[in-house]
Amino acid sequence: MIRRKRKDLGGIPTASMSDVAFLLLVFFLSTTKFDIKKGLGIVLPAVSDGTQKKVKLKEDNLTKIWIDKDGIITLKSGGNEQIIPMSELQKTIHQIVKDNPDMVISLKTDRKSKYQYMVKVLDKLQASGAEKISLSTN
Amino acid sequence: MAIIKKSAKPETSIPTASMSDIAFLLLLFFMVSTVFVREKGIPVRMPKAASIEKIPRNHSATIYVNKNGLISIDDFAVSIPDVKYVMQKKLAEDFNVLTCFRTDKDTSYGIMSDILNQLREAQTLRVYFEAKLQR
Repeated sequence: MIRRKRKDLGGIPTASMSDVAFLLLVFFLSTTKFDIKKGLGIVLPAVSDGTQKKVKLKEDNLTKIWIDKDGIITLKSGGNEQIIPMSELQKTIHQIVKDNPDMVISLKTDRKSKYQYMVKVLDKLQASGAEKISLSTN
Repeated sequence: MAIIKKSAKPETSIPTASMSDIAFLLLLFFMVSTVFVREKGIPVRMPKAASIEKIPRNHSATIYVNKNGLISIDDFAVSIPDVKYVMQKKLAEDFNVLTCFRTDKDTSYGIMSDILNQLREAQTLRVYFEAKLQR
């Protein structure tokens, strides 16, 4: 009788499987960077090509905010003009927009002013619920 | 002499069979969520704001502006008059492109205003000013 040789069962060793998995895991853990961007959104007006009619805004529907180069904010609404601190801006604008939902806020910033002042004011404007915001400079 | 028989201690062990399952699960999660940063950009200190919203990542083109007025798009230094052409190209590639500004907080607003005018001419009108959450 011929004795059959016992076949060696072929198998992939799985003992080091978790080692491999953890190695890859650590690699991805250390290289992952959650790059969630957050910011203030605004839609710019298109450049007029001359065909569009210029709409003239009524003086009553326009609030002007002027930021000078030192970050001092001047608010011009209706007839009166006043210097306003950053802390009270949101409350004031909220009241203005509540009284007149058609109000357009024109944010004018000095060219020499810092970008952060403009972002701060824009932040306050958006927080106060103003929807019609225009950006300009001198 | 009576021999006190020691009771056999039950063997304690943590089952390691499912270890690799856990590892692979975590691995898959990180593989799927990983986004390799494509551009290096230039170092900027962003301003802080409170009412910020999430910017959709897949359509955004980032413009870096540092406080010296250096403008960088896709790791190329761009001068102000060229912003228009670069953005027009981006608009041609992706109709829903939106521009995301990573501007240093001490940049003078004049530069930003010039870039915004360029964007208006390029018809890329959706703009986000990136900011950090103010706590």
